[in-house]
Amino acid sequence: MEMAILVLLLVFFGLLLLNVPISFCIGLATLATMLLSVDVMPAVTTMAQRMAGGINSFALLAIPFFVLSGLIMGRGGIAKRLIECAMALVGMLPGGLALVNVVSCMFFGAISGSAVAATSAIGSFMLPEMKKQGYDINYSAAVTAAAATTGMLIPPSNILIVYAIASGGVSIAALFIAGYLPGILLGVALMLVCAGYARLKGYPVGARLPLKLVVQKVGAAIPSLFMIFLVIGGIVSGVFTATEAGAIAVVYSLVLAVGIYREVKTSELPAILMKSAETTAIVLALIATSSAMSWILSYEQIPQTISAAMLALSDNPLLILLMINLILLLVGAFMDMTPAVLIFTPIFLPVAVELGMSPLHFGIMMVLNLSIGLVSPPVGSVLFVSCAIAKTKLEAIIRPLMPLYLAMFVVLMLVTYVPAISEWLPAQFGF
Amino acid sequence: MTKVVHAVDTVLKWFLASLMAAIVLVVSWQVISRFVLNAPSSITEELSRTLLIWIGMVGAAFAYRTGVHLGLDIVTQKFPKAVQRKLAMVLTASVVLFAIAVMVVGGGNLVALTYELNQMSAALDIKMAYIYIAVPLSGLLIAFYGVCQLYYLAANKPMQPVEGMH
Repeated sequence: MEMAILVLLLVFFGLLLLNVPISFCIGLATLATMLLSVDVMPAVTTMAQRMAGGINSFALLAIPFFVLSGLIMGRGGIAKRLIECAMALVGMLPGGLALVNVVSCMFFGAISGSAVAATSAIGSFMLPEMKKQGYDINYSAAVTAAAATTGMLIPPSNILIVYAIASGGVSIAALFIAGYLPGILLGVALMLVCAGYARLKGYPVGARLPLKLVVQKVGAAIPSLFMIFLVIGGIVSGVFTATEAGAIAVVYSLVLAVGIYREVKTSELPAILMKSAETTAIVLALIATSSAMSWILSYEQIPQTISAAMLALSDNPLLILLMINLILLLVGAFMDMTPAVLIFTPIFLPVAVELGMSPLHFGIMMVLNLSIGLVSPPVGSVLFVSCAIAKTKLEAIIRPLMPLYLAMFVVLMLVTYVPAISEWLPAQFGF
Repeated sequence: MTKVVHAVDTVLKWFLASLMAAIVLVVSWQVISRFVLNAPSSITEELSRTLLIWIGMVGAAFAYRTGVHLGLDIVTQKFPKAVQRKLAMVLTASVVLFAIAVMVVGGGNLVALTYELNQMSAALDIKMAYIYIAVPLSGLLIAFYGVCQLYYLAANKPMQPVEGMH
């Protein structure tokens, strides 16, 4: 069994460092490990069967739908309306446009499940605007990147669906509701940092708009924000499943973007469909090979071994949770969220459950933790997108990110050690 | 060579777009049939899962072609160009090996086994083997693109990107 762990790790990390796509790293490492104890033909057949079986899931269907609706909603007009709504609500507070940026990202996160989409949709409007008002471009890029991660927790969230699959049965509806408070908490923490920074730098504060204009701006965003009620309301009340809600989100976003706002032409739809299939396939390929890997993990009892080893180090839950968090922060700095969730959930979830943590709470903690990885060098997809839009260098935005990292870490510790932040709201809905 | 790749790209692009459109229609129909017609459809759930397997498998091959699968290039980008190219050839060969061994041979065996056992899907009432064909098909496509990639790497020429993506 030690041999199996060794082969799995060596092949996986060896190929990963040599820039083999992660889904193939997982597949090849699984194949090599399997061949230690299983004959060739049964090994490859089992793997093929597990790969197809791993994505044969109705719950997973929600992912292509939220990807597709996110792509449709990400087009110009909707993001602009959300930003103007945020401007009317928080633009006059200390921190001005930085706060508007955070709130817009939270709104956008509530209608789409991708942090990269939020960064490009909000960033491409907010960054030039902030520059115009004298904000340092590196600071603006840092705020956009950090703020975009709130969408990972605020539902609908594709990564929470991936976690639901990886954990083997945590309810997607429960995870979605559980994400609200930590997501909002993260947003508020980031806004506090922005307000403090603005005081320090003397950044301008927006004018208070007359009430009539506020109502008008908020009103213009309501059709976009109505999707939250439709999708999340439908899931929470049990009227439809997360997957059906996803399909409704697609239809609603089509009606809005093509029919009402006319931001998307029907001739653009094939390209949007192709793009969404491509994005979906990246996630599905990872899930397919990970489910082959989870077969060999349990066949060789690897999670039990790691769990026993960790619990042998200490029986203090606070320490073990801190250790898991530190490992995940390191993982997140190098690996994208989806593979990290798929690989580390089967390994760490049993440890966390052993310590008395609920799988729901663990999922929220893990997603929040790995969100920090999205904005951490050397590999942070959101960070790269934000730098690209701001036309700045990665090194330059690390400094302004520091106080934001600190805020994110404080929220992570709160979420880790105060279960109620994740569990109270779902409990009110009977989960 | 370029023409063949372009033709395969185009077919895959439109095939995937059609599958995506189909999956939206199928699940929307599921909602409509339940709420509006009050007669829940019995096949939409299984049909949409089948479409998802096909999107996942064929899409994985397409994503391999467009180079969007997640990877880590911070180590290899520091290598000299010539080393990077040789390394890329070895690693592309390993991806082709995986595609052929697991997806074509293993997946093909899975199709053959389920075909012989006459395993049927519960609601659609078609052979599971037809659903599983997506696995060896995807393997073949990945192997095809991998071999093309090897050809271009050996000739030290860049492979044309897919039209209309990015």
